[in-house]
Amino acid sequence: MAWNRVAVVGAGLIKFGELFEQSYEQMAADAFSAATDNVDLGFEPAQVEAAIVATQRGTLWGQEGIGGNTIPSAIGLSGIPCTRVENACPSGSDAFRIGAMAVASGVHDVVLVIGVEKMRDKSTEEGLLSRAASGHPIFTRGETAPVLFAPFATRHMHDFGTTREMLASVAVKNHHNGALDPYAHFQNEITIEDVINSVPVCHPLHLLDCCPQTDGAAAAILVSAERAEQFTDKPVYVAGFGVATDHPYLHEKTSYNSLKATQMAAERAYEMAGIEPSQVDMAEVHDCFTITEILDIEDLGFVDKGKGGVASLDGETSLTGRIPINTSGGLLAKGHPIGATGVAQLTECWWQLRGEAEARQVEMRNGYALQHNVGGRGSGVSVVNILTNQKP
Amino acid sequence: MTPGVQLLAVGAAAPAWRLRAADAAAAWGRKGGKGQSAVCAPDEDVLTLAAEAAGRALAASELQTDIVDGLWWGTSRPPFAEGPSHAVLARAIGLSHRSSGALCSGSPHSGMEALLGAADAIGAGSARVALVVVSDAIVPGLGTPYEARAGAGAAAVVLVSHGGDASIGARVTRTFPFLDRYRGDNEAGTRDLYDARLFREEVFVPTMRELGEQLAALDVRAWSLPDPDGRLGGVVAKQIGAAAPASDAVYTELGDTGAAAAILGGIGALDAAGTVAMVGWGGGRATGLEVNVKSPVRGAATVAHTITAGKPVAYAEVLRARNQLVASGETVQMAVPPESAQFVRGADEMLGLMGARCVDCGTINTPPSIHPHCTSCGSAKFVLTPLARRGRVHTYVVNHTMPAPFVAPLPLAIIDLDDGARVMLQVVGDGSDLEVGSDVELVLRKYAHERGVPVYGYKARRAGSPIEVDGDAEGMG
Repeated sequence: MAWNRVAVVGAGLIKFGELFEQSYEQMAADAFSAATDNVDLGFEPAQVEAAIVATQRGTLWGQEGIGGNTIPSAIGLSGIPCTRVENACPSGSDAFRIGAMAVASGVHDVVLVIGVEKMRDKSTEEGLLSRAASGHPIFTRGETAPVLFAPFATRHMHDFGTTREMLASVAVKNHHNGALDPYAHFQNEITIEDVINSVPVCHPLHLLDCCPQTDGAAAAILVSAERAEQFTDKPVYVAGFGVATDHPYLHEKTSYNSLKATQMAAERAYEMAGIEPSQVDMAEVHDCFTITEILDIEDLGFVDKGKGGVASLDGETSLTGRIPINTSGGLLAKGHPIGATGVAQLTECWWQLRGEAEARQVEMRNGYALQHNVGGRGSGVSVVNILTNQKP
Repeated sequence: MTPGVQLLAVGAAAPAWRLRAADAAAAWGRKGGKGQSAVCAPDEDVLTLAAEAAGRALAASELQTDIVDGLWWGTSRPPFAEGPSHAVLARAIGLSHRSSGALCSGSPHSGMEALLGAADAIGAGSARVALVVVSDAIVPGLGTPYEARAGAGAAAVVLVSHGGDASIGARVTRTFPFLDRYRGDNEAGTRDLYDARLFREEVFVPTMRELGEQLAALDVRAWSLPDPDGRLGGVVAKQIGAAAPASDAVYTELGDTGAAAAILGGIGALDAAGTVAMVGWGGGRATGLEVNVKSPVRGAATVAHTITAGKPVAYAEVLRARNQLVASGETVQMAVPPESAQFVRGADEMLGLMGARCVDCGTINTPPSIHPHCTSCGSAKFVLTPLARRGRVHTYVVNHTMPAPFVAPLPLAIIDLDDGARVMLQVVGDGSDLEVGSDVELVLRKYAHERGVPVYGYKARRAGSPIEVDGDAEGMG
């Protein structure tokens, strides 16, 4: 039996991209409006009782200790309780989970979950790449984001015969989906040759194996399940969630062809939702790199371990495949504004469950959609949220 | 005579890079230029070369490093003009916290000063086992003829009071307060000779002849002689009747290795019985030393192989490595300043390459300071243990996209060490020879040089790569 104590009655995002002209505050305000505009029966901003904001790297736009007060001020609700969540790449999905727990606890009836990230206010070198010099002076020196996942590609290829063509097929599929998504950063089709021939970034990953650096914001409005029908006739419920951690340094992994944090988070989420992986109709998963999506679909139980590459190349994860993955274009095409990413993925799941995903709509047989992020140092944090359109 | 000072083992080290003199000359519009010289890659310096040579000598000696009483290090370019150069090297080599010794510097003659200082400590009984390391990596002035000669290399000698295969005999020193090659305060490059003929006629040849004639009376089998310009060595050899100095091979392969030259040029000749004479020069001083070999000294036979393994490098690469060609703009600074608490906590575990072995389940956690609990079983009971320095690549990447000061391609590997510990480290080279399962060894390298401070740590290097030499090769000693 699914958990179903909390409902999502509104969700929305802004068009992702290099939003040089927009401030952090403007992106937040626009995402909030997008979410409230999508509440079927109308929503007054003043109905928000509390907010949880996910922003992972304030330092990327010159903010070190950005607290919870920026968002209420930016959306015209200064004074409400607001807390910032930072939990690496799953920051947005963890903010959603914490928001759901805040509602389920009975402390707040209506909670705004909002993810906002400015990735491009600093140059690439001074921005995300500068993490090459962060952390431990020896054991993480040179560790940019692709270094967190490329060792898994090397080992997956070694252990299972996964090829660069299989990796590339993930990017091709997600760019196809992104071309159908008006909110995606990239809206162009690419080919397997494009991916294979793109410049090397971190062997064995090339440029089109990697997600872009994207500015963006997304928001969702959570209410108690009992009050859901005051806001919509088509509520979507939180069926379950799971969070898990693994050791924070790459050399501490027990495996380099799977992500333990994802496996543990998924197990907890499935148990809470009372479903099996086979009951999931579609999933928005963490595809920061092509290899990540291959690891994800194995570790989430959609395909057997080692078969993720073949399944991707064979189209099993396409819009019409057995288990459609990243219908929104994923991080690879829609973009990865870190704090916003999870909330934007949940918005796509919300649309799919309500039958509103337009050209990207997939068949929802069982009424379950799964959202997943994994990241942080050592790829050691994962969050899985499962949504359903099945009423409690 | 210094009674009871014996050589137990020797080792050598040299960078892999070789600069062709003709390439340097061509960059300045000059034709010609003979020979080549060894140059440090950006992650090498006098300290990493010293550590490698010392490691080889100690391995050949088969002694435990913690019984070494002191380290005598001679180099004209200690990595800190003022700072913990000696302490960092001693810890990286694995010497005890109680070890003594000295850092000799100020001129290329400092290598001979280090050897004499260690020999005197053994002779006086204040040390029973002394480690002598001489290393240099000369940075010549841009565009000077010296660019074609300035080299890099290191040698190490383990001295003992008894039990060695060779002993130190006569020594003779001459001084001459004359300015030949020098480097002023705050100057980056070493200045070339003011007048080559003046130096030759009035200083070098007369001094060497006097010193050489005294040593030649000892029935010398092999010579290590200074060769400041590629010709003077031959002139002196001829005058004292030394047919082909053993040091020629080192000068030909590596160029002028400064403070390392006299000893590095001689230790290869310790592989056979007879007398070897080593002559050091620099800073207005010259010292000759007699070494009497009874039977081949451990490690001596591998020296020739160590110095002859090199690969050509472009002149521009050399300039970048020497910080003589610097890109404009800011570089990304290390998040942890080298003076900060993390380095205090990490000094032993990073330089000594330590792990924490879990008493309950045996897992080795690295580095110890960030693991109060075992990653496998959660236990908090550990025994500190030095990590194995060989292992196998479990998986790896080659990073092509990083901001300055990083230079691509940068390979990083997750390595299963022979003792079961696992580490992630940078890999020497461009990564093109790496694969899952590759055998690697860990070597000390300079990870960063920022805020004026070198930061050292271990990197992996393909085992069996050309510049690797097994320190305890069979059939020796």
